[in-house]
This record gives sequence, C-alpha cells and structure tokens, in this order.
Amino acid sequence: MIRKELTWTPFKVLLEREVRRFMKVLMQTVMTPLINSTLYLMIFGVSLGASISVGDLSYLAFLIPGLVMMNCLNNSYQNSSSSIVSSKFNGELEDYRVSPLSPQQIVMAFAIGGLARGLMVGGITFCVGQVFYFVQQGTVLGLANPLHLLFFLVIGGLAFATLGITVAFWAKTFDQMSAVSAFIMLPLLYLGGVFFSIESLHPFWKGLAQMNPMLYMINGVRYGILGVSDVAVEKAALVSVLSFIVFFVLALRTLIKGSFQRW
Amino acid sequence: MKPLVVSNLTKRYGDFEAVKGVSFSLEPGEIFGLLGPNGAGKTSIISVIVTLTQPSSGDVEVFEQSVSDNPREAKVHTGLVPQELINHGYFDVEEVLKFYSGYFGVTGNKSRIDFLLDRLQLWEHRKKKVKQLSGGMKRRLLIAKALVHEPKLLLLDEPTAGVDIELRESLWEFVTDLRKEGLTVLLTTHYLEEAEQLCDRVAILHHGEMRKIGPTKQLIEGLTQRNILIQLKSPLSQFQHPYLIDNSGAALHFRVPSGVGAGDLLAESQLDLSNVVDMKIEEGSLEEAFRSVLSGTRGELS
Ligand SMILES: Nc1ncnc2c1ncn2[C@@H]1O[C@H](COP(=O)(O)OP(=O)(O)OP(=O)(O)O)[C@@H](O)[C@H]1O
Ligand SMILES: [Mg+2]
Repeated sequence: MIRKELTWTPFKVLLEREVRRFMKVLMQTVMTPLINSTLYLMIFGVSLGASISVGDLSYLAFLIPGLVMMNCLNNSYQNSSSSIVSSKFNGELEDYRVSPLSPQQIVMAFAIGGLARGLMVGGITFCVGQVFYFVQQGTVLGLANPLHLLFFLVIGGLAFATLGITVAFWAKTFDQMSAVSAFIMLPLLYLGGVFFSIESLHPFWKGLAQMNPMLYMINGVRYGILGVSDVAVEKAALVSVLSFIVFFVLALRTLIKGSFQRW
Repeated sequence: MKPLVVSNLTKRYGDFEAVKGVSFSLEPGEIFGLLGPNGAGKTSIISVIVTLTQPSSGDVEVFEQSVSDNPREAKVHTGLVPQELINHGYFDVEEVLKFYSGYFGVTGNKSRIDFLLDRLQLWEHRKKKVKQLSGGMKRRLLIAKALVHEPKLLLLDEPTAGVDIELRESLWEFVTDLRKEGLTVLLTTHYLEEAEQLCDRVAILHHGEMRKIGPTKQLIEGLTQRNILIQLKSPLSQFQHPYLIDNSGAALHFRVPSGVGAGDLLAESQLDLSNVVDMKIEEGSLEEAFRSVLSGTRGELS
C-alpha cells in the first residue's frame, strides 16, 4: 500500500520542474528552432524548392509538416536527455532516487515534460512555416486531419522523450551524448522523409528508409496537416505506438536497473 | 518501532568488499555517530539506506519497511544530507526546496520552508541560484532540503565539512532541538569532538568492519585512560607508583584506568596532601578511543 500523497504529487511536481526548466532557458529552447526552421524554409522551401513539386504539392507545403515533426521529436528528445545529463553532472539525479519518486513517475514526468517542449517548438515551427507559405502562395495551410495530427505529435514526442531518458542514463560522458545525437538522431531525422518523399528513392534505399520509425511519425504528421502520406496512416500509427511502448519499457528498465549516482 | 535497522549488510564494488556484514540499529530519538577513517564504508552504508546503491547482501529497514522490498515507504520518512554538494543549475534556493518537498508528496509547506531558510541563515539568499551560493551555503541548503519534508530519520553524511565554526555550532543546536521533537539522527563526521558532545552512541567502522559500538561515554571509559597531573610544593624525586608516567620533580603525571578516581589515587599512593599545590584531571577523549580502536590496542597500559 502506497500512501495517497505519493500517488500524484511527486509526479506532478517533477513534471512542473521539467517544464519550468525549459521555460527558464526559453531563448535557447525557442530561438534555436525558430532560427533553424527559418533557415531550412528559406534555403530548401523557398530558394531550392521553388522549382520542385512533390506530386501536386508545392515543395514548401511538403516540407512544413516534416519540419514541424522533426523539431517536435528532436526537442522532446533533447529536453529529457539534457535535463538528465545535467542532473547527473550536478548530482541532482541522486535527489530523484533518495526521494520516494517511483521509476514510473520519473519516466512519465520526463516524457510529458519533453513532449511539452516538443509541442511548443513544433507549434512555433508551424507558425513560421505558415508565414513562408502565405508569402509564397497567398494563403495558409489548413489542417486536413487535426486529430491525426495531434495523435502523431503526442505519441512521437512521448516516444522520443522516453528515448532521451534511456540514452542520458546510459551515457557515461557528454561526448557519448553528442555522439548519439550526431550519429544516430540527426541522420535518422534527416532520412526520415522530412525533405523528400521516399517514393523518389531507389528501391534499396526506400526499403532501408522504411525501417526508420521516424519516417512513420513524420508521415503521420504530414497526413494530419496535408492529408497525404508516403505510408499508410494505420501503419504509421501502429509503428508510432509500438516505438513508444518499446522506448517506454526501455526507459523504465534503465531507471530500475541504472545508477543515479553522479559522474 | 526502530527508526533504522541494518542487518548483516555487505556491499561489494566488483571484487572489493567495502562493507563487511555490518549490523546495528538506532533507537527512537537518539543521535548515533557512525565513525571511521576515510574509506571505512560510512557513505556506502548510507547509500544503501537511501537506495542509491543496492546491498550485495543483508538488508536495511527504516521504520520496519525494507529498503529493498518497499523502497518508497522506507524513504518517505528519511532525510539525507549527502557528503557531496549538489548543484541545481536552473533554480533558486526557494524553488529547489519547493520541488524537493513535492518529491516527498508534500506541498503547501511554505511556512516550513521559511522556517528552515531562517534557521539555517539562508533567508537573504533564498532568491539566489544555487550555483551563486558559497560552499558553506550549499551545505546549508542540503540540510534544509533534508529537513523540508519533516523526516523522522535524518542521515547526516559529514554535514559540517566546509561550514564555519559559528554555523557549525548553530547547526548542532538545531539538531539538538529537532531531537527533542523526536527526530532520530545518524551522523558521520571526522570532527570527533563534535561526535563526542552530540552522540548518545557511536559505532567505529574500519575497513568495512564494525570494530566497536556502544554508548559514547562508556566506550571512551572502556578504551581510554585519565591523565592526572599533580603539582607539588617540594619535589618528590624518589616517588614511585605503577601509574606514574612522568615525574618532573615539581609535578607528577599519572595515567590511570578510567575507573580510578583521583581521590583513590591520592589515598592509595599516600601522598601528603599538604604538599599538593594543584591537581588537573584530563578525561580520555573520543579521539583517543578512536585511535586505540583503529590501532587495535586498548591504551598503553594493558
Ligand atoms: N562506486 C564505487 N565504486 C568502487 N568503489 C567504491 C565506490 N564507492 C566507494 N568505493 C570504495 O568503498 C570504500 C568505502 O567508501 P565510502 O565512501 O563508503 O567510505 P567513507 O567511510 O564514506 O569514507 P570518507 O570518510 O572518505 O567519506 C572505499 O575504499 C571506496 O574507495
Ligand atoms: Mg563518506
């Protein structure tokens, strides 16, 4: 029997901490993706993309949902992982272990905290994209399937925030953290169909790209905004949910077995 | 209900055995000193109590809740001041205390937080980021954190390292006050004088083994000798006595077992009282007792 005050309060407080943490570094959390997506939209969407179209879509329309989800996933991941890594470095991680927070509560708080940042940055990216779209097309993008959009953003954000927990616990140094970002996260994101349709790929690369769970999440969001997707939307939903479950179980295991002791 | 029971606790790091089958328990409301040189295994034991590490064998119970089987219930009444300072990069002192209370399921405890800030002289620093605090202030913040959820068992792992004398005294005053309210304290420190003054009982740990445990006074008495210095009017250069260790002529220096009183000594050695100018008695200290336990001998005479 666990006492009542331990059911929700520790989780809620840790979640509050996580959200307040990224709000404190708002410049960093918001400005970086803002500048980032502006650059992408300018270079790929406007300059290079003016002469390209994907099916009957303008390249800009194709690009915007991809950028939204890329930033959402990346920021969800960054939020939980950088929070944990810096706590590890500070010794603050020990606080979580010394207090009666349960592993489930810790995973959920970091997952939802990461998702909050992912959604915020994803939303900002969408707004920037709309500005570009309006300038080019004289109109804004509507939302073809808003509920699908929300579903994929939430599941994707949660999945990548929980992945961030596992990686941050596993990492022994800051270098290992950035190695995972540079050699695994970014390539998967870039090759996840943000910038191009996998229909245009050679069958070998297409087969390879289809093993990347991000492809499904990104196409899910594209379906949510534009109503088109490179993959069947049911399959995209299934892969997204499965990824979340796998990453969640992994994170939980890591927290139960892993060390909370400082570097 | 015992606040803490450590049974047959062993902690191995790889092949190295840092804690070797240690058992002890704490009584409600006592201050218990866990002493030992660097590397004795004190922090390892505390880490097991707060589930930072798992025991290799044996178990720990906090208020009858096993830390292995029921960790959350075991931790809810425990406060820890860790040996190493903790930084909180993003938050100020007040926020840290608020969050930390929440992890223990406590909210709306502003008056408790204000009380601790005041008592630990952190009030004027409450809006500072933790990284802006000095080392001693960070230590005090750790103490405030440990107490913010009103624990019933307080674990202090060298809480006074790097804290100035004045604050050290006010801290001990605070701990004594808290004890009156029923708090049980486990303390490790290298300041043996502090331990001697504060602890009802002490345990001395060496290379992971429990070497000695008992009420502080009794332990000192059993392990040390008293020094008795007698100043004389006229020298007694021929004076002989088994407890005499130095005779400078003007003064006699005796070292006697702790059971022997000065009066007994005077009577038994048939010293002429009119020849005695002054007398000084030095009791054995915990530090001496500690040394004798570590060196494995029981003082010089036995
Ligand atoms: N994580 C670890 N991995 C390997 N060995 C460790 C680890 N932690 C502690 N030890 C070893 O275990 C022994 C006991 O360490 P511990 O920190 O418990 O000592 P202590 O009594 O707290 O010492 P001090 O007074 O210096 O704080 C030491 O020999 C130490 O080197
Ligand atoms: Mg120690």
